Amino acid sequence: MVNVTITVNGQPVAADIDERTLLLEFIRDVAGLTGTHNGCLEARCGCCSVELDGAIVKSCNVLAVQAAGRSVTTIEGLSPQRLHPAEHITTGSLAGMYQPLDMLGADAADLHPVQAAFHKCHALQCGFCTPGMVMALKNYLAENPEPTRDDIRAAIAGNLCRCTGYQHIIDAGMEAAEQLRAQADA
Amino acid sequence: MTQTPHRPAEHTTRPRGRLVGQSVPRKEDLALLTGTARFIDDIKLPGMVYAKILRSEVAHARIRSVEVAAARKMPGVLDVLCGADLVGKVKPWGDMMQDLLVGDHTPFAVDKVLYEGQELAAVAAQTKYQALDALEAIELDLEELPAYVDPEEAIKPDAALIQEGITYEFGDGNIFDRYKLRVGDIEAAEAEAAAVVRQRFSTNRQAGAALDPHGCVASFDSFTRELTVYSSTQSIYMVRDVLADVLQIPRNKVRVIVPEVGAGFGSKAQIFPYEVIASIFSMRLGRPVHLVLGRKEIFQSGTARNSQIRYAELMCDRDGHITGYRDYTVHNCGAMSVWGNQVLHIGTNVGMLPYAIPNIRVDGNIVHTNTAPGGALRGFGIPQFIWVKEQLVDMAAAELGLDPLEMRARNVIRPESFPFRTPMGQVIDSTTVYDCLHKSAAAIGWTETKANPVPYEGLGLAVSMKYTSCRHPSFDTDLSAVRLRLETDGTVTIYSSDVTHGQAHATMLAQIVADGLGVGFEKITLARPDSVTSPFGLGTYASRGAAVLGTACRLATERLREKVLAIAAHVLEANADDLDIGDDRVFVKGLPDSGLYLEILASLAAYRTHQLPPGFEPTMEAIATYDTPTEREGPDGTGNLSVTYSAAAHAARVRVDPGTGLIRVVDYAMAHDTGVVINPLVVEGQHQGGFLMGLGMVLGEDYVYDDEGHLTNASFKDYLAPTSTDVPELTKIYELPAPSLTIPGGQKGAGESGTGPVPAAVGNAVFDATGVRFTSLPITPQQMLLALREKDRRGLATFRYPDDMPGFTGPREPQDWPEPLLPDDMGFDWDNFEDEL
Ligand code: FES
Ligand code: FES
Repeated sequence: MVNVTITVNGQPVAADIDERTLLLEFIRDVAGLTGTHNGCLEARCGCCSVELDGAIVKSCNVLAVQAAGRSVTTIEGLSPQRLHPAEHITTGSLAGMYQPLDMLGADAADLHPVQAAFHKCHALQCGFCTPGMVMALKNYLAENPEPTRDDIRAAIAGNLCRCTGYQHIIDAGMEAAEQLRAQADA
Repeated sequence: MTQTPHRPAEHTTRPRGRLVGQSVPRKEDLALLTGTARFIDDIKLPGMVYAKILRSEVAHARIRSVEVAAARKMPGVLDVLCGADLVGKVKPWGDMMQDLLVGDHTPFAVDKVLYEGQELAAVAAQTKYQALDALEAIELDLEELPAYVDPEEAIKPDAALIQEGITYEFGDGNIFDRYKLRVGDIEAAEAEAAAVVRQRFSTNRQAGAALDPHGCVASFDSFTRELTVYSSTQSIYMVRDVLADVLQIPRNKVRVIVPEVGAGFGSKAQIFPYEVIASIFSMRLGRPVHLVLGRKEIFQSGTARNSQIRYAELMCDRDGHITGYRDYTVHNCGAMSVWGNQVLHIGTNVGMLPYAIPNIRVDGNIVHTNTAPGGALRGFGIPQFIWVKEQLVDMAAAELGLDPLEMRARNVIRPESFPFRTPMGQVIDSTTVYDCLHKSAAAIGWTETKANPVPYEGLGLAVSMKYTSCRHPSFDTDLSAVRLRLETDGTVTIYSSDVTHGQAHATMLAQIVADGLGVGFEKITLARPDSVTSPFGLGTYASRGAAVLGTACRLATERLREKVLAIAAHVLEANADDLDIGDDRVFVKGLPDSGLYLEILASLAAYRTHQLPPGFEPTMEAIATYDTPTEREGPDGTGNLSVTYSAAAHAARVRVDPGTGLIRVVDYAMAHDTGVVINPLVVEGQHQGGFLMGLGMVLGEDYVYDDEGHLTNASFKDYLAPTSTDVPELTKIYELPAPSLTIPGGQKGAGESGTGPVPAAVGNAVFDATGVRFTSLPITPQQMLLALREKDRRGLATFRYPDDMPGFTGPREPQDWPEPLLPDDMGFDWDNFEDEL
């Protein structure tokens, strides 16, 4: 057993762990964040992609002890859960008193532009690959604000998706790049 | 040429107007995008322990002993189970044969191991690591037997029996079921044919390889005797009913709940041993048990596509009209298979489309080998059969000197009136397959390219139709159900047992309810499938969602609407016929800004029942079950098994690098008839995903076995799942809808029609590019290189791979083909079997 502290989405998380513990397991089982998925444990599917000190890694390919003292960003770090209660959904009869929720049940502005683009472009079906895809693209677009479609294809070549045929994911990558550029200009 | 994909309406505003037909952004997305969605591996219950399974590392062996005593003493171990512990205590379950279940599935192998990866023992421990460590302490004494990997070896008369001690009604030896199809007079068709093309084709074993692992969490309460199972299944009632039967406990004491399910593609449409094992551990320990499989285990035991060898013949008249089809099929279901034999029946029946072939004879042997269990997988036998038939069509066109497009145009169904019944028995209620064919050919530039061919570039076409639902030969049902509840605040809850796992049920059903009930889309929620609350339905498979589940939802919506209108008519003292619903309220026609809000009407039924119409049953629930008007398969194999049929015409452009053998699909066009589309962007996504699965099937995915039956590529490292860089831009997607006349809303199935034509379209394009006709799947760069070299060496214009390779040991020419092992040879008179019964 060894004691490690890893900063996960800005919060230090400390625990005594088996030396064999993978960063993926630390995130899921110790930090309790299950948005990072285990699709293979062999560094092939990309479902477990997170940022480690700003670099994209497959967290099943990193031991937790290797990440000790370092900082991890997971999918939950992109759009923290809203902690305030949702407003009551209401009809036109009370519209003056309550703000009806938008159809998502949450404020779209809470989503990272990559997440918002995935929603808009229907870039997810079962959604299991999605957190890894979103993290990979977020990381890539931060360095490469003006990608071509082929660039995006190459950027996600380490992430498998069995559902979408990748087409809408690439659409979403282009859409997100545009939104991020617009944000940067603003 | 690029087409802008459909874009959804802005998601910040409430969608307006009629929602069916709009690309409404999905309700499912938010949890999946932000990481809050809970999949099976994420479920954690108080006191939960972890189980792991010890699987056989050999494919065929007699079990002398499984010694678990040492494992019991390992740290953290709570319980250990093996096959001998359960004999006589749990009921075997099994293959769906004609009208009965054959009990050939058990939680663990008992006397014999039948395939690599089969369950031998399992451990429950405090932690995952402790369970894994304890597995290593289990001692096995296995006597290895020769393994049958090749189904044609397994059916040789001297082959040893794989499944011992099980009597299959229609089988013999390692043939465990047979398929027989008889339409018209095939001998006459052959005698009169102007051209007959004959070729042996074979197909591969492809995995669903859904990224979300198969798994479950089982929790038994020893006082209430209730067993709760969270499972990543596609069908909660299939799991519940089989599990209860296996454990011999009441079905109303078994509760199956699904968390988020990360796709299945058919590979999760059955019960698995791990669900039984976790349940037994939980019953013995009184604690929740987590049992989620690893990737290697899923490859080995999570079911794969059934492979086929077809000795196939296509007959045509002088004008290229197809007059007959005959084949002998050897269908490999692996060591055991719940669905495997159905795949041959349905894939062949529906795979005959979109042609109305008047004379057909198919004899199929459905075979066990010492390989992974065969299961349902996207396309369910149709991609295998289309691979064969659509390449024969190209071969026949070449023989007759016809353009492949013209040959198909002369054959695809184009009746003068609908419904049209084919000789095979399918009732085609509408189709635009002819237009789809021309649309896809035009989009790929068929005519221009044919006039100006480019070396090592080729075009290929393939057409298919896919069932939208299915009445399986062994499963005389095709139903889905929806229960709706108008809540007292005017929101609506939808209950269904058909598991959404990528198909956007929450969105699609809400679109139907919103239109029918005038309730805001944002107020509609789909409850999670749970056998305690969800109405009985079969589950999500066979592309049934939009048409069958959608129809149940539509019927339930209509019933609920009637109740709402009845209350409103009473309160407003109006005639129900004069009322309309919209914008969350009921109003007098023409006065949409007035009226009563749904929340008020619903609360009358709950809290102010004196204001209801006299005699009105105070409930705001409606339930509907829709069973399709499909037929059972007849004794000659014909019948209308699907409620309606969606069409797909695909056109591929491939480029082959003669230096490396690399094959790239550089352009692809898909034209589909999916009937009335509820959500265009979702359907587009289904076609793109369907294409991906077809692309994987033709260019790389396969289970590679060595002679001992070891699966040598049970990992994403070696199993070639297509990545983003393998896929062309998929923008040439066209919908040419012919609304179904049988389904009230006109929908047809979308989920699988994108897969069927892909292998054949690519295969035909590869031939066009290189002159090499691949007759086996998948086509790999290595094979391409070998074929090109051998073809050049021999100076041939055309070449078949592997048939014309020097080392090929199978039968090369039709005169060498095996005689079908006919049931008559086995002492069973098929043609008169009804008299015998
Ligand atoms: S789980 Fe890490 S790459 Fe698949
Ligand atoms: S959306 Fe299912 S794996 Fe990508």
